[in-house]
Amino acid sequence: MSALGNTDMTATKPAAVEVRGLAKHYGSVIALQDVNIKIEAGEYFVLLGPSGGGKTTLLRTIGGFHKPTKGAVLLHGQDVSHLPPDKRPTSMVFQSYALFPHMNVLQNVGYGLKVAGLSKRDNQDKSAAALELVGLTGFESRKPHELSGGQQQRVQLARAMVLERDILLLDEPLAALDAQLRKDMCLELKHLQEKVGITFIHVTHNQEEAMTVADRIALIASGELVEHGNARDIYRAPDRTFTASFVGENNMMSGAVTDVSGDKVTVTVNDTVVHVDRRDKAVSTGEKVSLSIRSELTRMTLDPDDAQVQSGHALTGSYREAVYLGLTTSHLVDVGTGHDLVCRVVDDLDVLPQKDQPVTLYWRAGDLRLHTQ
Amino acid sequence: MSEISGGMIPAATYKASLMERSSGWIFYVPIVFMILFFAIPMALTVVFSFFERTMFWMEPGFSLKAYENFFFSARLKNFLSSMYYSLIAVVICFILGFPIAVFLRRSVPQVAQHRVILLFILPFMVSEIIRIFALRPVLQRNGLINTALQNLGIIDEPLTILIYSHTGVIIGEVLSFLPFIVFAGFLAMEAVPKYIFEVCDDIGAGPFARFRDVILPLAAPGIFAGSVFIFVNGIGVALLPNILGGPGAVNAGLIATQAIAALDFPLAMAISAIMMLTLMGLLYIGHRIFDLTKILAPIN
Amino acid sequence: MNDYDNIWGHRAKWAYLLLIVFVLMSPVFYVMYISFNLNGFGAARYVFTWKWYGMIFSDQLLMQALRWTMTLAVMTTIVTVPFALLAAKLYKISEQKLLIVFLMLAPLFVAPDILGSALLVFFKNLNGSFKSLGVLLGTDMFDAWFRLSFLTAWIGLVIYTIPYAFIVILITMGRFRTEQTEAARACGASGWRAFWDIEFPQIRAGVFSACSFTVILCFNEYTRTSLLKGGFDTFTTVLVSQMLNEGMSEQSYAMSSFMSFVAIAFIGGIILYTLVRSEALAREARAKAEPIMST
Repeated sequence: MSALGNTDMTATKPAAVEVRGLAKHYGSVIALQDVNIKIEAGEYFVLLGPSGGGKTTLLRTIGGFHKPTKGAVLLHGQDVSHLPPDKRPTSMVFQSYALFPHMNVLQNVGYGLKVAGLSKRDNQDKSAAALELVGLTGFESRKPHELSGGQQQRVQLARAMVLERDILLLDEPLAALDAQLRKDMCLELKHLQEKVGITFIHVTHNQEEAMTVADRIALIASGELVEHGNARDIYRAPDRTFTASFVGENNMMSGAVTDVSGDKVTVTVNDTVVHVDRRDKAVSTGEKVSLSIRSELTRMTLDPDDAQVQSGHALTGSYREAVYLGLTTSHLVDVGTGHDLVCRVVDDLDVLPQKDQPVTLYWRAGDLRLHTQ
Repeated sequence: MSEISGGMIPAATYKASLMERSSGWIFYVPIVFMILFFAIPMALTVVFSFFERTMFWMEPGFSLKAYENFFFSARLKNFLSSMYYSLIAVVICFILGFPIAVFLRRSVPQVAQHRVILLFILPFMVSEIIRIFALRPVLQRNGLINTALQNLGIIDEPLTILIYSHTGVIIGEVLSFLPFIVFAGFLAMEAVPKYIFEVCDDIGAGPFARFRDVILPLAAPGIFAGSVFIFVNGIGVALLPNILGGPGAVNAGLIATQAIAALDFPLAMAISAIMMLTLMGLLYIGHRIFDLTKILAPIN
Repeated sequence: MNDYDNIWGHRAKWAYLLLIVFVLMSPVFYVMYISFNLNGFGAARYVFTWKWYGMIFSDQLLMQALRWTMTLAVMTTIVTVPFALLAAKLYKISEQKLLIVFLMLAPLFVAPDILGSALLVFFKNLNGSFKSLGVLLGTDMFDAWFRLSFLTAWIGLVIYTIPYAFIVILITMGRFRTEQTEAARACGASGWRAFWDIEFPQIRAGVFSACSFTVILCFNEYTRTSLLKGGFDTFTTVLVSQMLNEGMSEQSYAMSSFMSFVAIAFIGGIILYTLVRSEALAREARAKAEPIMST
């Protein structure tokens, strides 16, 4: 759980974007349910989540493409829920196919300025400046179909940024690009945002993308805001079960609480007793809880008497297989919970364990995390 | 340029402009128009068919005379037989035209497909009355076909069944409506993915089996719609039996226009009502079997 | 067509296709052939002449009918195409798609004589009702609103042509991506502005086709117009009355051929144009469908 910045200023400037109690229904389908978020000016904010989970709906509602069923959208403190997209101080970058095919690059970029009534001269100057910002000087007279995917997205960026609005919405802007290009453009987006200083709200289902660019991340799934906070906290200290299962590679387990004393909670996982820190969560004996631990913090040993193994912070199982990924190797171990746990290491093991060989997975006390929701 | 600086939004724009809010209604104008001038008149044919006939017009009332006139006379027999012949025409159109649609979709490159479709639109650029009427000198006793066949020595006596007969009407129908089967088939074949043909080749399915088991079920909604179109127009276009049919040849359309000419409006309405209900029945059955909404899938 | 297909089978199918087109067009060609004959239709000797074409313009009956038809065609297009556009937009947004499609396409499935008869009786009754209303209110301004006239023929033609225009426009709009309108809105354009600046230029070809198609359909339509028009003559009614009585006049043959020439030239022009530009168009289509995603 993360705090939301300054709490002790009495005359605070309103957040750039605020969503209050937002709900969006399509007939009986609930796309969004009671979402509350505050996004500060100048932040790079990412809406992360599985496909169909509601993050795009949320973005589009902020942009004015959907009308909220309940709740409100406030931009710079003003309720804009009833305003159409053209009347909001937002601009938007789409996933693909959003450049106007019958106009060239310069005309595309300058379209918003034309609608606003700028003189041709000013329009051209500003558009050229925007193109320079995204590194596409010289492409002015090309048509969209003469550009590659990455170039098209840059033109979209230029078109959105030339309007000099405070809030830029990006709807899975990199989803259609090849993996390597995506990585490069991620960094470019981050640098662009730092340079221009406006608020970016970026939707993606790709974790790596989210972690690269975000100041803060909000996890949206099944129409709900699951958790939000800065990237580090979301990764290292997930609060909810879903967060742990979605972000990073976490080993998930479940069990029943057998004892709560102070900050220490005892859980039985598949007949094994495990200890975990409570960290101010409300939990009672007998409750079913989830546990997670990052696969890179999970260690493996073939020696059951290994000194590093602490009782209550280990599980035994049988070895399944290794997945070699170059940088890392994932060792899969069956501990009887239904799905294999993963021990992820950077170094190669010269001698791999045999299949079905008994192994012990262990971890440092404090690395295991408790989830009650 | 404060509007584009992205700062606080002026209060005046908080209320969406009147244009935006009220502009939704205009989209319903065509629908209202169609209801007023199409759906309602068609529905009223049923009402009017029960009216009583007067000298020059008709009088509101409830009388079954018009239906009596239709069902208990030669008209019913003619109506049914025209349905029968129209059905034959539909089948012929299908056999002649559907393979063209399949060929187009399968073997002709995308861009060229639309050019060929244009070729089939060409006949429509000419009025159907001209096309039908121009068949007379072709099919007549001393017309083009007979002269050619006789000169080639294929026949001795001229064929008289080509015109002023049911055959003539069928020929006229096929020539008038064949393009529609090509269009309907073309649209319908959009539902059949190209790889089907490769898969069938791979598993050794012959063309007939392929047609029966794969193409037909997938393309059925479109084929059905095209067939209904041809069928209904076949029994409804008065000109066809008028110009090409034998003595006393009539179809529903001709009965209706003859009734109007004779100022028997309830009868005309009765025919219209029967036709309309026949059509609705066909479409309903088709929808239940094929789910006709699939026709528009490629357009979505 | 893949590398393994039989080339002769392919050619045979093409030949069949073109044969069918030729057979379909043969009555038209025959009419053209007759129109050049000095001795008119059915005469034993054939003498080539342009005479009848020249005489088209002096045939008052024909010219008058043509004028009426032209007016009807233009007026119909002015109503039909915008209606088709609005209905297509509604279709895209609405949830009751089936109802909209049914209403818009149903006239296709109603035979012309039936539609004409139904509308005729409807209008006469409507006219009568309006008259009675006028009598009730003591005025005669309602008297002739729906008598059989230009207005009724116009309405009938709109009903007839709307399904065709609707289909053409739906198909054209089908290729248009809604992201474009949204992007335009995000740039600050209002709904109407976004349509005019962004959508219309891309569906222009379809709108133009719908207009041409509608005009041609109006020129060729006979049954509904004849039933609904009231006192004036249209091109097709003149032709039919001639056909059924003394046979078509030579000028009529010439006129029909002329119309056919125009229509064929129009379609032929489109075919040639796309043929010439087919390579460039295909390249563009490929680039639009699959842009390179690695740079």
